[in-house]
Amino acid sequence: MSMTPRERVLAAIRHGEPDRVPIVLGVSNATGIKMKPYRELKRLLGIEAPDEYLYLWPELGTAAIDEETLVQLGSDVRGVWDLEPASVLEANTTRPPHADYINSWGSGATEIRPGEWFPMVCPMKSATTTKEIEDYPWPDMDDPTRVAHVAKEAARLAAEDRYAIMATPWLLFPLERAFAMQGMDTFLMNLALHPEFAEALLWKLEELCKTLMGHFLATLGEHVDIIKIGDDLGTQESLLMSPAMYRSILKPIHADYIAFIRERTSAKVFFHTDGDVFPLIDDLAEMGVDILNPIQTSAGKMADLQELKARWGDRLTFCGAIDTHRVLPAGTPDEVRAEVRRVIEIMGPGGGYMVSSVHTVMNDVPAQNILAMVDAVREFGTYPIAAGDAA
Amino acid sequence: MTDREELLDLLYGSVLSGDVDSAVAVTQEGLGVDVEPTVLLFDAMIPALEEVGRRFETGEVFLPEMLIAANAMQGAMTILRPLIVAAGVETVGRFVMGTVAGDIHDVGKNLCNVMLEGAGFEVIDLGINVPAEAFVEAIREKEPDVVGMSAFLTTTAIEFARNIELIAEVGLRDQVKILIGGAPVDQALVDSAGADGFAPDASSAVRVAKSVMGLA
Repeated sequence: MSMTPRERVLAAIRHGEPDRVPIVLGVSNATGIKMKPYRELKRLLGIEAPDEYLYLWPELGTAAIDEETLVQLGSDVRGVWDLEPASVLEANTTRPPHADYINSWGSGATEIRPGEWFPMVCPMKSATTTKEIEDYPWPDMDDPTRVAHVAKEAARLAAEDRYAIMATPWLLFPLERAFAMQGMDTFLMNLALHPEFAEALLWKLEELCKTLMGHFLATLGEHVDIIKIGDDLGTQESLLMSPAMYRSILKPIHADYIAFIRERTSAKVFFHTDGDVFPLIDDLAEMGVDILNPIQTSAGKMADLQELKARWGDRLTFCGAIDTHRVLPAGTPDEVRAEVRRVIEIMGPGGGYMVSSVHTVMNDVPAQNILAMVDAVREFGTYPIAAGDAA
Repeated sequence: MTDREELLDLLYGSVLSGDVDSAVAVTQEGLGVDVEPTVLLFDAMIPALEEVGRRFETGEVFLPEMLIAANAMQGAMTILRPLIVAAGVETVGRFVMGTVAGDIHDVGKNLCNVMLEGAGFEVIDLGINVPAEAFVEAIREKEPDVVGMSAFLTTTAIEFARNIELIAEVGLRDQVKILIGGAPVDQALVDSAGADGFAPDASSAVRVAKSVMGLA
């Protein structure tokens, strides 16, 4: 039985077995490919396509992958995303070379080596009071140029009715935005030292995220299958904050945000959260998360795929789990194939799993390994999948 | 309990709870009544930081609580450091620290610095995005016992090997122990980069540093 990519994705998300395990590559900065491996991929595949950037944002360095390459990779999703307001795009395009990139929020990135940008411009670094939140010149989330292009692209994809449509607005995540505004260490300290301020800032950021998300979803209408949100809650070894702090401060905000989205769309909620988030998976499922990403297998208990599948496999679809820590950057193509097979044999049976790299494919990954990953999905990901020895 | 014990208790509690204003005030109060700087450091602040480290390792506290404790300690150390240096207190060792070239992540590195200084190391922090040449220059000029390199990304962890190669090329490798740290670091990376060890988190950095120096 052959399915369209969209049917394949929808079947997997409904916890049914499609014809093969879906592939989610490209489309967002959590499932994307950086420019260097993208160029190498095009060369290997003999594809000529321009080097374009996701979100029209070269400093982010993530490729907007051309259609032909997406087809070759077997990616079953196509993306729609917002843009910074036209005035901000224009200001950044015309700024002096090597000057800081500043977005509409007032935060931004500094070039530390040629072509390497890091988010180091934090405009609220010293803020600790609600007055400073009130006084901050917040961006205009109603600016129509943020989503002007979305309706046409989504309608085109919907008319084509071939790929699952994944909406990936840029970083409409309250905690990540707070880190961008204050710096990660500063905001983490404020969560402990000035919890009222930290909580107020998170609610303010969520309000702004909701405003743009509302416009984005209204523009998409029915033409969306998956909506990506998230917040990184884990570290390499445990959580970024205690479960108690998460539940008292951030969880109500996430719950409100997810409820807002679910009221406006029937699309599935895809929640990206890096690191070892094992102790919070029940919370995420309870709030209405449908798809959990990226299953960072190099981080603590997230390595235990059997346990994840056994405990949450009936409620959550997992997307990711192909290691970017060691296997994709340093493994041989054969090692990549073996790892993909191992993961598929644990996560694939019964549906509820979509292959993706753990976070975006970085510049240290050989394009051969990306091809080995998707070839292995075609080889080992066809249903029925027998649980392997590893499972 | 004597006033002095009460004061040390208060300082311990201030660092433990991350109250920088209180830690600074109690430190000043202690100096005002002639409590030795080293007593404030070794009998109150370091035990507090060690306790935070212990609680972090067992999952009782997380990054926010660890960061504020380190911040409280740093606040008090700005007062104590010059006094301790002036008193000529012998340090455990000299530690040069830096985040490698192409990387700007410093939360873990800064925590390590506080833990190391608290344990009696003299810490020289080269900052972020530190090129290999700057590590070499610091080894020549500062003659540290240990060099610590931090990287958060797999794409920048390759700098460990490059830095260590350059340090070896200029003939300085035998003079220092080299520790690496950060999210992508494991024993395999230590071996392939030619480092002497790694610390999985800030609270174990002290133990590892002393161990490679043959002190523990």
